[in-house]
Amino acid sequence: MKKQTMFLRMITASLLRRRSRMLVALLAIAVGATILSGLVTIYYDVPRQMGEQFRSYGANMIFTSSNGKKLSKSEIDSAKKKINNSQLVGAAPYRYENMTVYERPLMAASTDFDEAQKTSPYWRVDGEWPSAEGQALVGQEIAATLEVKAGDTVTLVYDLDEAPATADEANKGERNQNSRDFTVAGILDTGGNEEKYIFISVPDMEALTGKTDVFDMTELSVSANRDELEKYADTITKNVDGVSARLVKRVTQSENTVLSKLQALVLLVTVIVLLLTMICVATTMMAVVTERRKEVGLRKALGASNKSIIFEFMGEGLLLGAIGGLLGSVCGFIFAQAVSMNVFNSSIQFHWVLIPITIIVSVLVTGLSCLLPVRSATDVDPALVLKGE
Amino acid sequence: MFFRMIKGALFRQKSKMIMIAVTIALGASLATAMLNIMLDVGDKVNQELKAYGANITVVPKENSVLTDLYALDGQEETAAAHLKEDDIGKIKTIFWGFNILDFTPFVNTTVVLDDETEVKLTGTWFNHHLALNTGEELDAGIHSLRSWWDVKNGQWLDEQKEGTANGGAMVGTVLAERLGISSGDSLHVKTSDGEKTLSVVGVFDSGGDEDEQIFTTLATAQELSGTKGLIDSIEVSALTTPDNELAKKAATKGPGSLSPADYETWYCTAYVSSICYQIQEAIPDSVASPVRQVAESEGNILDKTQLLMILITILSLFGSALGISNLVTASVMERSNEIGLLKAIGARDYRISGIVLTEIIITAVVGGVAGYFMGYGFAQIIGQTVFNSSIEMKPMVIPIVAVLIVIVTLAGSIPAIRMLLRLRPAEVLHGR
Repeated sequence: MKKQTMFLRMITASLLRRRSRMLVALLAIAVGATILSGLVTIYYDVPRQMGEQFRSYGANMIFTSSNGKKLSKSEIDSAKKKINNSQLVGAAPYRYENMTVYERPLMAASTDFDEAQKTSPYWRVDGEWPSAEGQALVGQEIAATLEVKAGDTVTLVYDLDEAPATADEANKGERNQNSRDFTVAGILDTGGNEEKYIFISVPDMEALTGKTDVFDMTELSVSANRDELEKYADTITKNVDGVSARLVKRVTQSENTVLSKLQALVLLVTVIVLLLTMICVATTMMAVVTERRKEVGLRKALGASNKSIIFEFMGEGLLLGAIGGLLGSVCGFIFAQAVSMNVFNSSIQFHWVLIPITIIVSVLVTGLSCLLPVRSATDVDPALVLKGE
Repeated sequence: MFFRMIKGALFRQKSKMIMIAVTIALGASLATAMLNIMLDVGDKVNQELKAYGANITVVPKENSVLTDLYALDGQEETAAAHLKEDDIGKIKTIFWGFNILDFTPFVNTTVVLDDETEVKLTGTWFNHHLALNTGEELDAGIHSLRSWWDVKNGQWLDEQKEGTANGGAMVGTVLAERLGISSGDSLHVKTSDGEKTLSVVGVFDSGGDEDEQIFTTLATAQELSGTKGLIDSIEVSALTTPDNELAKKAATKGPGSLSPADYETWYCTAYVSSICYQIQEAIPDSVASPVRQVAESEGNILDKTQLLMILITILSLFGSALGISNLVTASVMERSNEIGLLKAIGARDYRISGIVLTEIIITAVVGGVAGYFMGYGFAQIIGQTVFNSSIEMKPMVIPIVAVLIVIVTLAGSIPAIRMLLRLRPAEVLHGR
């Protein structure tokens, strides 16, 4: 008991007395630990955060009907349930119908605009997104042909005769065309095929065609890697009747290539930075300890055994390592959080396991770097050390 | 005397000085590697993002949607506008021609197979060898613009190989399955303008609409559609700078709305909109528009990656700076005895500071130079492992690292020296 109290007193006293030098050592350890915990946290979080950024490429999975009929809402919903809700960024159902405007044939598509904004974040709308029924989003190419701009009105005409009529419609008999006025809310610019369509809301489409609950396909944006996506597509195609899920290869394949490169980059950078930082910490600790060769000599002259001297120096080093590691893991998390907020605008996940890991690594590094100079000091004859050579 | 003292200090305390030099070298190599990677990561990731395919499409000015839509309705294709095949090479001659990585023309037509079904046939370049007026030679084609194609059976069509250039074709997997054909088979197609027997070189899986199409060489498709020397559209893959306010303004209001100074900045920056504008200037009667899905997302991801690397670089610079200054402080403070002795025999403060600082700076220069080359090595290791290409070493990194190291070593040693100078020699020599 007495021995332990003395041990503790010697360690704390030496830390406190040699305040400025110990502060230097502590700072070095804390910076090393900050870099360790900060970079490792970022490394773990980058794939998730970057994966979300890649969702701006749009849908990576589509549902189509597997039995040649159209999709219904209940089928889409039951397929959607197979996907982890937190990974699902958006799911926009689409339905395409041939219509005419001023006798010109064109394609009209109905979708859920809120979901379409999520699955296709790259759509650029000149004007506003449609927010109410009776509003339409007109593709740029169509807008140029029809010479309409945001705020104008277009009349969509749907020919009921061409569509297989339901019994209800057949009873109506005399009218074979449905028409409806739409306000152009915005002009859609995508640089792709979407510019050739007029987009309207689902209820409008159902009112125009008289057919409810039919969809041609659903675009989904799922924040998951390729293997997970393949698994989802597989389970949905097998387990959900009437739905066949396919991956958009262009998006998934390319994302896989780019994301794995990015991850490898961050990993290598992390490893190299860590390695160099740890060596830096070790040299600093060695310098701090080497400076105390005289103290080692004096103790030896007073009759301390090598073992007890090494023990004490190690105790000091480990204490410093633990404090520095704790400080560092907190600072590292703050740093990682700042990076995440700045780069991705979202907070980072905290990995509790990193605190003990950081502390253990910093204790090991400090311990090892103390051990070398202390051992070389204890090996030398105390008289020589005290004399200064 | 001054030099002898410094020489003495450097050689007598060899191991200590080596340790300082090693630490400085480590810090410098970290700074060098990270700065170089940070400066190059944009280009590298931009190259990787080309996996998503073309980011600009060029179509003839008069070619409205109507041809597509009429065709959709099963009506006759109206006389559509075309681009000239001879003009394609001009893409490489624009101001940002160097940033054009790849491009390929397309001719679309519909062919009738032997079983009387209609199939879309696309003529394009696969790996077309192009010799430009400027003397530049390059291979262009869809091979790299469709990096996600999975050639299941057979291989990519090689235009430069004898025999495949005329009549070779690649068939989408859905169509191939339906027809029961695989590579090596032949496929007879006819149009109103002629008929031809294509030899299937490969079957591909694109995971999209293209799986139901036939891809063949440009000349074959032109022959079948009767549009010799004409093409329908061009896909271009260009390295671009992410859009900023200026680029957005130019894109929405047109370049005419910019002030002359802004216009020049815009024109001379590789924004996707300015590259499109230059392509329109180069190719008569064309409209070049960015493929938003690719162009917009590219900018987004590039920005994020660069910002991430900048922040990591700042952290590692900070870490190496603290590491160096810590060690320098520790090693100066260790020399309290020596400084006390010098003071006791009457040395002036500035002489003492001069000696200590010169020693440290010499060590720092040695360490810094070694560190720069180590950093070069680390940067190349990362470049080769991750991107399979070397990281370009920017000359501007050298002064940055040099200044950083000088500042850091001075910042680490000066406070320590000042503190030691303030001590009384008798106390120091007595051992406090």
